[in-house]
Amino acid sequence: MNHTDHVTDRLSDYLDDDGLTPEQRAALDAHLATCGECRGALDELRAVVTRAAALTDRAPAAELWSGIAARIEPPAVLKMPQRQTRRFSFTLPQLVAASLALMVLSGGLVWVARSGDPRASLPPVVALEESADSEPMVPVTFADAQYDDAVADLEQALAKGRDRLDPETIRVIEASLRSIDEAIDQSRKALKADPANVYLNNHFAASRNRKLALLRRATALALGDGNIGG
Amino acid sequence: MTATHATGLLPEIAASPVCRRAISLRSERQERAPKPAAVASSGRAPVGTGAELDDYVARAAAGDVRAFERLYETHVPRVHSLVRRMAGGRDTDELTQDVFVRVWQKLGSFRGDAAFGTWLHRLAVNVVIERFRQDATRRQRLHDGDEIFDTLASPLRSGDIRMDFESALERLPDGAREIFVLHDVEGYKHREIGTLLQISSGTSKAQLHRARMMLRRHLK
Repeated sequence: MNHTDHVTDRLSDYLDDDGLTPEQRAALDAHLATCGECRGALDELRAVVTRAAALTDRAPAAELWSGIAARIEPPAVLKMPQRQTRRFSFTLPQLVAASLALMVLSGGLVWVARSGDPRASLPPVVALEESADSEPMVPVTFADAQYDDAVADLEQALAKGRDRLDPETIRVIEASLRSIDEAIDQSRKALKADPANVYLNNHFAASRNRKLALLRRATALALGDGNIGG
Repeated sequence: MTATHATGLLPEIAASPVCRRAISLRSERQERAPKPAAVASSGRAPVGTGAELDDYVARAAAGDVRAFERLYETHVPRVHSLVRRMAGGRDTDELTQDVFVRVWQKLGSFRGDAAFGTWLHRLAVNVVIERFRQDATRRQRLHDGDEIFDTLASPLRSGDIRMDFESALERLPDGAREIFVLHDVEGYKHREIGTLLQISSGTSKAQLHRARMMLRRHLK
C-alpha cells in the first residue's frame, strides 16, 4: 500500500466527518493541499454521495397489487367451516324492506333531532331500535376500540365467506351496510354541531349497533350458521 | 392544542386508539421521511400527508383493503426502488410484494410512534435483509467481490448517466451495495447499519468506502 492508498482509504471518513480525530483530519488537510490525485479522488467520492442522494424512485413496471391482494388475509375472529356448501338467501322483498326501513329511520331521526326539541316528538329511541332488531342492543360507546375491532373482524370474516352467499343477498347486505354507514356519518356530523344531544348520541350508538348486528348475521350466514332469525 | 381541537373529532372518537395513533402520526413527521411519489402507479393522485394519510392508515389498520391499496399505490415507487437497489435487481417484484404483505400483517401493531413512511421503510429494509440472511453465502458475500472492480472499471454505454449509475449500483458486490444504499441513499448511520446487518461499524465504513470507490468511475 503506497501513501496514496493509505490516504484514500480515509477519504470517506474525511468526507463524512466521521471517525477522524482532529489530528488525523489536520494531517489529511495538509496532504490534500499538496496531492492533486487525492484531491481528485475526494471530489469524485463527493460526487458519488451527491448522486446517491439525488436518485429518484421509479414505480415497478409490472402490476404487483393483484399478487398482494391475493395474499393478504384479514385475521378472522370466527373459524370458517370446512364442509359448508349450503347457500342462503333472504327473500328480496324482506331485504329491500329492511334496507328502506333503515334508511328512513336513520334519516328521520337525524332530521328530527336537528330541527327541534327531540323530546317533544320522538318516541324513545331504544324502543324503536328494539323493534327493528330482535337481538338485544348492547350499548356501545363512541370510541370503543373493541367496536372498531369487532366491525373490522366481522367485515373480514364476511369477505372470506361471501362466496357462500347468494349474489342478491350480498347486494342487499351491502346496500344495507351503506345505509347504516350513512346514518352513522349523519349522526357524527350532527353531533359535531350539537354534541350534547341525547337523541343524536343514542342514534349514533344505535346505528353502530345495527351495523354490528347486521354484520354478525351476515357473517353467520356466510359461515353457514343459517340461523337467520338471530 | 388538544387532540380534539387539532382533529375536529368528537372527544370520544379522538380518544380512540386508532385516532390517537393517527394524531400521533401527524406530529411525528421527521427524519428519513419518504420522498413522495409524484403520481401513484394507478394514475390516481397519491395519498397526501397529514390528516389524509392518517385517515388511510387508520382505515387500513382496521382492515380496509381499499385504503391499503391506496397506501400501496402511494408508497410502491419508494419501496420498489429501495428493494431494487438493495437486492441488486434480483427478485425485486417478489420482495416488494413481500414487503406490503408484511405491512398488512403488521399494521395492527403500528403505534404511530414514527411516521408511517418511516415505519414502512424500515420494515422494507428488514424484509430484504431477512431474505439475504436466508442466503447461506451472505457472510462470504460481504468479503468477496473484488472481481467486480474489473467489470465496473469503465462507464457503461448509455445516454442516461443516471441509469448508468443505477446499473453500476446493481453490479456492486452485495455487501458493499447494501451498505452504500442504506448509508448514502437512505441516510442510515453506520451504527444503525451495523445493528441491521449484524456487522461492526468499522466493517460498514470499509464497505461503504469500497462501494464509493467503485461507483466514482460511473460519474465521468
